[in-house]
Amino acid sequence: MRLVHPLIWWLWALLLATFVIRADNILIAAAVASAVTLVVVKLKSDNYWSKSFALSIRLALLIIVVRMLIAITIGVPMPGQILFRIPSITLPSWMVGIRIGGDVTSQRLTSTFHEVIIIATVILLCGAANSLASPHRMIRSLPKAMYNLGVALSVATSVLPQIVKSIGRIQSAKRLRGQKTRGIRAWRGIALPLLEESLERALDLATAMEARGYGYHGKTTKYRVEPFTFIDLVMIASGVYLVLLSATLLSHFGVVVLALFSLVIVASPIAIVKR
Amino acid sequence: MISFKDVSLIYPNAERTILEELNFEVFEGELVLVIGHTGAGKSSLIKLINGLVPHHTGGILSGEITVAGRSTRQLKPGQLSDVIGIVGQNPINGFVTDIVEEEIAFGLETMGIAPEVMRKRVEEVLDLLSLAPLRNREIASLSGGEQQRVAIGAALVLNPKVLLLDEPTSALDPIAAEEVLSILHRLVHDLGLTVILAEHRLERVIQFADRIMRIGDRGDVSIGTPGEILAHSPIAPPIVNLSKALKLPEVSLSVREIRRRTESIRNVLQDIPLPQPAADNNGEVLLSLRKVSVAYGDKYALTNISFDIRRGEVVALMGRNGAGKSSLLKSAVGQSPIISGEVLITGRDPKNMDGKALIKHVGYVPQEPGDLLYGESVIDECLLADKDNGVAIGTTLAIYENLMEIPNINAHPRDLSEGQRLGLALSVILSANPDLIILDEPTRGLDYVAKSKLVKILQNLVIDSAQNRSVVIATHDVELVAEVAAKVIFLAEGEIVANGPTRDVLTASPAFAPQVTKVLAPAQWLTVAEVVNALGESAI
Repeated sequence: MRLVHPLIWWLWALLLATFVIRADNILIAAAVASAVTLVVVKLKSDNYWSKSFALSIRLALLIIVVRMLIAITIGVPMPGQILFRIPSITLPSWMVGIRIGGDVTSQRLTSTFHEVIIIATVILLCGAANSLASPHRMIRSLPKAMYNLGVALSVATSVLPQIVKSIGRIQSAKRLRGQKTRGIRAWRGIALPLLEESLERALDLATAMEARGYGYHGKTTKYRVEPFTFIDLVMIASGVYLVLLSATLLSHFGVVVLALFSLVIVASPIAIVKR
Repeated sequence: MISFKDVSLIYPNAERTILEELNFEVFEGELVLVIGHTGAGKSSLIKLINGLVPHHTGGILSGEITVAGRSTRQLKPGQLSDVIGIVGQNPINGFVTDIVEEEIAFGLETMGIAPEVMRKRVEEVLDLLSLAPLRNREIASLSGGEQQRVAIGAALVLNPKVLLLDEPTSALDPIAAEEVLSILHRLVHDLGLTVILAEHRLERVIQFADRIMRIGDRGDVSIGTPGEILAHSPIAPPIVNLSKALKLPEVSLSVREIRRRTESIRNVLQDIPLPQPAADNNGEVLLSLRKVSVAYGDKYALTNISFDIRRGEVVALMGRNGAGKSSLLKSAVGQSPIISGEVLITGRDPKNMDGKALIKHVGYVPQEPGDLLYGESVIDECLLADKDNGVAIGTTLAIYENLMEIPNINAHPRDLSEGQRLGLALSVILSANPDLIILDEPTRGLDYVAKSKLVKILQNLVIDSAQNRSVVIATHDVELVAEVAAKVIFLAEGEIVANGPTRDVLTASPAFAPQVTKVLAPAQWLTVAEVVNALGESAI
């Protein structure tokens, strides 16, 4: 049992995303999504990065809802069984092929649902990588040539979780002035102090890195060397395997077996990786 | 070790020079304290030494600064990182990694130190700062004092000759501050480290300083021994004010010193009766907590808290960082996740009041008073507050003018000094005319002058107003509590451990006792004013 290199988590997540897109199947996407959720729940650390997974779940759900609503109201008409009918707007003749309102067919809904589940899974995978691999650890493994990128990334990523905190603080302050905390006007009031505070934080961090000599010395060394090991290899190999053989596996075993298979493969880090 | 020759600093577009014609030298192994009003240029001076000003912030610099024989003119701060370590005000903003050990190693990694050497150095620093038990902890989960120690460790690991600290204890409770300062003291004595420390809460650090550098309002700087400088400085801790008030021939800086010199006076004071505590307050209950427990997730912040705040009281809420002070204050405005018990504001649950109704009862100034402000200028802010609170135009501005000498009304609230901003936020709150005023850490960024103004304002709020308001303050500042509060509620780990008159609670624990009490113990005097009053009757 050992830690996995942060880069490996990202690579693993990207490979899985490729697999999901290639397999292009709701069942498989669902299998991967649930396995990844399991991995995150079991392996995430307690730091604030781990919260990004919860955030990505919300984002995924939001995308599903919005996409389905759009599918119902707008889009290219699709033939098929009509489920229900909503009032439609007649569009000028040059906008042929587009409808607003009108017939909603089952084909339209299933194809959209299919597409949006794949997107949601990919978003979930990104969230998972973010919460499993601390961006801080990853940035420090960047080569020296990427010095400026390193500073920019550290600053950007460290500001994010702080912003979430600041929003909460400023929102509660708005209530203390007897104001509503929702609505565009309220957000304008929040955005400015937030921006200022984030910039200040970012500047503080950049200053601290500068004062500690980041980027001024030729060769850097590692305090904790994180060598690539067998586990990293297994994780990457399993990802590559899924991507390359998805078509063959699909035709050979059928969807249900492949979905179960990928569920097991994707969840396997739980057994071999230390949190 | 550090030498300044004819150094002046001005920021472009600034109306005044920040620092003018600085000439001084700091020798090896000295601990120099930098004092001055907020905004006088303490931070600029600190950052000048390692070149962050002007290399990182801009500004026009003339003159010559050398550190350990190296001129900072050509060298960037990063190139000086092996000679100078710097620790900022909010260490959490400057951490690059997530784990204690890795944070300390970061500076070594960037310098390309060999892994074996690195291990040894990290080990040494962990031991030096007593961080070994925390080595694998996530930095975000540490207390303020521990984080500050990590920041000092991260700066020390490169074996610098000079350590710069910009208000390292301003966010810490008295015990955590003590912890950080005693470590600094040890570093100076054991390693011969040169330390430059900017601080505005002098009562804690004054005894450790070899020399003091005072930045005046016009950017002029005087440097000398603590006794020399503090004898004529408006910025002075209570212990200095006490020695002045007692007309001691010399200004005393430590409790031990002044106790030796005041034996006879102490005997006199011993026999003078202490001021009578105010009679029991039977006023209307404004805020009442009944067996309140607050939890974030499965972590309890408060357990079974019960107390009342009555009309006309000033109550201080004290306790270490994380003891639950903020959770308690927030429960009064319905912003804490209460899991049992009830909170009542004049008989109603604040959770069920809408914003407009709430501000008529409770005025809450958060830790960052700027959070409350969203106007483009002072006058704009005041007019917005008039409109929000449904009062006649000009009310807020009048309150502000009444509180303090107001700055330019066209200035942006963010450009005000900490004290002015606090005053503005307070005026905005007061214009809704609440009965109960809550302040969370109001003195954090205030110097002594601004603080004594705040003390007057708070006293006026309670005593002089016909309305008989109440004030609740959460603070680490024992001296403030001694001056204004009649009652103290002391929290530890989410429970009330003491609740009683200020004199009883403050004198009970040495860590939270004000300086005057420490000096005059066992007699329970709290403030210089009290002592002067008492002695006024019998001649000194």
